[in-house]
Order: sequence, then structure tokens, then C-alpha cells
Amino acid sequence: MALLLPFTYGMDPTVAVVLLAATYVGAEYGGSIPAILIRTPGTNAAAATVLDGYAMKQQGRAGEALGISLYSGFVGGIVGLVVLVLLTEPLSRVALAFTPPAYFALGVLGLSVIGSVSGGSLVKGLIAALLGLMIATIGTDPVTGTSRFTFGSPELLSGIPPILVMVGLFAIGELLAQTGEPGWEKASADSARIRFPGPAMWKRIARPQAIGSVMGTIEGVMPGGGGTISAFLAYNEARRWSSHPEEFGKGSPEGIAAPEAANNTVACTALIPMLSLGIPSSNSSAVLLGGFLIHGLVPGPMLFVRNPEVVTGLYWGLLVANIAMLILGYLIMTPCLWLVNRPKPYLMGFIYAFVVSGVYSIEGSLFHVGVALGFGALGYVMRYLKIPFLPMVLGVVLGFLVESNYRRALVLSSGDHSTFLRDPLAAGLLLVAVTFIVVTVVRHLRAGREATA
Amino acid sequence: MRREIVFGGATLVLSAVYYWLADRLPVSQLSDAIGPEGLPKIYALALAALSFILIIGAVADRRRAAQASESRAPLSRVAGVLLMGVAYIVLAPWIGYPVAIAALIAATTYYQGGAFTREAALVAVSGGVLFWLLFVVLMGIEQPAGIWR
Repeated sequence: MALLLPFTYGMDPTVAVVLLAATYVGAEYGGSIPAILIRTPGTNAAAATVLDGYAMKQQGRAGEALGISLYSGFVGGIVGLVVLVLLTEPLSRVALAFTPPAYFALGVLGLSVIGSVSGGSLVKGLIAALLGLMIATIGTDPVTGTSRFTFGSPELLSGIPPILVMVGLFAIGELLAQTGEPGWEKASADSARIRFPGPAMWKRIARPQAIGSVMGTIEGVMPGGGGTISAFLAYNEARRWSSHPEEFGKGSPEGIAAPEAANNTVACTALIPMLSLGIPSSNSSAVLLGGFLIHGLVPGPMLFVRNPEVVTGLYWGLLVANIAMLILGYLIMTPCLWLVNRPKPYLMGFIYAFVVSGVYSIEGSLFHVGVALGFGALGYVMRYLKIPFLPMVLGVVLGFLVESNYRRALVLSSGDHSTFLRDPLAAGLLLVAVTFIVVTVVRHLRAGREATA
Repeated sequence: MRREIVFGGATLVLSAVYYWLADRLPVSQLSDAIGPEGLPKIYALALAALSFILIIGAVADRRRAAQASESRAPLSRVAGVLLMGVAYIVLAPWIGYPVAIAALIAATTYYQGGAFTREAALVAVSGGVLFWLLFVVLMGIEQPAGIWR
């Protein structure tokens, strides 16, 4: 997705957003292919699929495993889409009630998920978020117009576009991390003919698919949830409710159906907080947010008022993407395997060329290419130090919203901070944010205590 | 743990420099109560505090697990890939997009362990033409023209 982001610059906004969202949907299924064939999950969310998918492959049932994965992903995707359409619109109806204090509180709520997306270290997550907030202060001050931290460079007057941070951290950082790594294992084309499940199998995997869809809905809507957590939760619940729990880990079809339904449900439901509140809850939805921003679309409350056609187009696009995934997932397996089996040095060369060409396309600026390379280096260091990316992206994306509305609210209230508590929407959002922060801190402290015990 | 101490030290220095720069921002007649330097100073102080916590935590862990070994990343190889990107930025305005992108593909392929063969050269040249057709001809997105102007 991060690779495609700059590539969408010349496209119609709706087409660009649908392309990115469809890539997200496709990647959730695509991640299961290497998980099943070469025991390497293509995405984090596909890690749970490795357990039974690779075991089925070893039993000579790779085609069946791929078919269950594809079919379950389709079911999960459609359930997620229905939930997305039903929940997003009502949540966005509060749009017109937003004032500067409420926007500030919304930004704080977005930042409050940092703890839950920080992995094992809250301190590292907070440092990453602060670095993101600091990056967001570069450029022209939102209230006085003073230029800050630009070092006299005109290119920095309008700030550092979040898309450069995302492409650098995700795409170039990954390219650098792959440098020096051994080549990928080759996938055999013979073992990859998809076999769709028959009626008996449909019946058997219906329950784990339902469990996966429920888990995907809950985790997707929650900021910081994400496909990986939902996939493992669904896997555990499917095993608990299964009439064949002993087969799990040894090639159970239910062990593929549950996580695949879950992570494909999340692909749609994770868009709910992003579309309605402008808060990305996962790396993929953060990249999709970047797709909105480079087309001047601001996800959040006003998107439904100003650009309803983009939202409708996105819904239809996701429906088409899910149906296309079912058809193309079957048809393009062979060419996909040909592509991933190309020698790694050639693939790396083409990916690098694609990234620099795409970044230049955004504003025709080689300076931007340099900035993206810089963030690529930072992304590599962050990977090395196990510092999470998403808090930094949240800081970059929400920094301007938080600062500009905080200061505007204080200007309007003559410096009275109680304005944030007098506005009922702002007070409610801040209360939710504080609750979220307290719960996260308590959870981290408890985890730390258990680790040292 | 040593790498976390180094990182904590780096963010501590960054917070000090950032605070100093924020403190030097010009005062505007239009300034509000917070001012352009207000939040940056808070960010800098928060970063300094967190950097201390990270360093102290890493030192404590180091004492506990002094024998733990750390894997070493191939930093020189990573720097090489980044240098190729920098070379692209410098050379593209002179030699033009198709040649520069073909050179980037060729250099990256070779650097990643590919052989310097006729096939590799053909792939790089084909890549240059393909990217030029895709971005410049098909999508109409301008790329550095260089000598092809």
C-alpha cells in the first residue's frame, strides 16, 4: 500500500482511494498465500494462518487450504463491509457539532491509542509519538504564520507531508531492512492450484467464520485493534468452540477459516474510526489516510458533508474488491507465483525505482525524494530498535489538528482552559481519551510486573 | 540494551536542540497566549523526560542481562542503498529520468547480490524504459528531464 501511495497522485480521488482500499483488502488474503506455501506470513495478520495452513500444505492439501483461506476471506470481507456501511454514517452525524475544542479533543483521543499500538514498550511508543508531533510543527505556524524549524528552506514552509513520512518509514525502511537478508524461499507452482471447499466443508467452517467475523468487527472498530490481534483471538475462540479442537495446529480447516475471516473483516471495519473520526487505527488505515490527504480529502467529520461521493465510491469499490478477490485470487495465482519467484536483487531494484519515481510524482520535487530517504533511514533504525511506527504516524497526522485547534480554542475563550470542559462534545471525547490512557497504562504496568515476577 | 542507551542519548540531544530552536523563534505581534514556541517546548521537555526513562530502564536491564548478545545490523550495506538514492537525486536532473532510473535498478540489483551480466543490464534498461512509459507517457507525470529536455 505504501508503495502505491505516491502512484495514486495523478488519479481521480475516488479511484485513488478505492485502489488503496482494494489493495488493503487484497493484501489481507494475499498474506495467507506465502503463509500456507512457504510458512512465511505475507502480512502480520496472516501469522495465525501459518499454524494450520502450512500443516495442511505438508499433508499435500495446499490447494484446499488456499481455497478455504480465499472463501473465508471473502465471507469476512462482506461482513466487514456491511458493518462499515451501517456504523460509519451514524458516527459521522456528530460532524456539524464539532468546534475547535472538540477537534482538539478528537486529536487527543486519536493520540490516546498510542499505548495500545506501542507493542511491548510504552516509553518507546511515546517517544515515537513525540517525534511525530515534533515533525508536525515544522513549517508555518497555524496561528501567527511564523516559520518554524525550516532553516530557511522554502520547501519546508508548508511542512513535511505525512505521505513522505509513511513512504519512508514503511516502504523504504522495509527495503533497507531487506538488504543483507537471505533470499526468500521459492514457492512451488504445482502445489498452488486452489480447490474451493464443498458443501460439507462449508458447513464445518461456517462457525469459525462467524467467530472470525465477530472478532474482526470488535477489533476493527476499536482504535489500536488491528488484524493480527483479531486473527489470533478468532483462532483461539474457534478452537474453544470446535468439535475437533485436537486438530488445531495439525492442519485444521477451521484454524484457517477463523483468522482469515477475522483479518478480512478488519480490513473493512478498521476504516470506521478512520473515515468517521479521522483516526487511523492500524498501519494500513494510516497509509489509506495518506491517500485521502494527498488528494486534499480530510477524513473525519466533514468528509461526509463535503465529499460524500468519495465515501459512496469507497463502499462500492470495497464490494467490487471483495468479489474480485474471490475471482482473481483464483485466476492470478500462477502469475503471482512467477513474480515472487523472481530473483530478489531484481525485485529490490524495481521496488526502489518505483518508490523514488512515485515520491517525485507527488510534487515534482527531488527534495521530497531526499526527505523520504531520510525517513527510510529512520524507519530502518526504528525497526532495529523495535520502536513502533504507528505512534509516529499518528503524531505527524494529528499534530497539526491538535495544536491548531488547541490554540484557536484558547484564542476564542481568551485563554480560558475550561472551554474544553464546557463544550460537551470536547468533554466527552477527553473523558474517553483519559479512560483509554488510564486503562492502557494500567495494562502496561501489570504486564511489566508479570514479566519481572 | 546498548542500542537503547544510544537511542535514548540521541533523543535527549534532539530534545535539547529542538528546545533551543523553539526558544529562538521570533515573537510575532499577532501571537496568542501559547505562541509558536509553546507546544514545541512542551514536546521537547516531554521527550527529554522519556529519554531519561528509556536510558535508566536500559541501564537497569543491562545489569540484569549483561551477557545477552545483540545482533548487529548490516549498517554499511544499508548506507550503500541510501547512497544510491542520494546519487539518483544528484544525477537525475543531469542525465534524465530514464537513464537515472535504469542506473538505479542496475546498481541496486548488483549491490543486492546480482551478477553483472548482459541479462542484468538488459533488465535494467528495460526497467528504465518501462518506468518512463508508465509515469511520463501513460500517466503524464513529469520526471526529471535532464539531457532529454
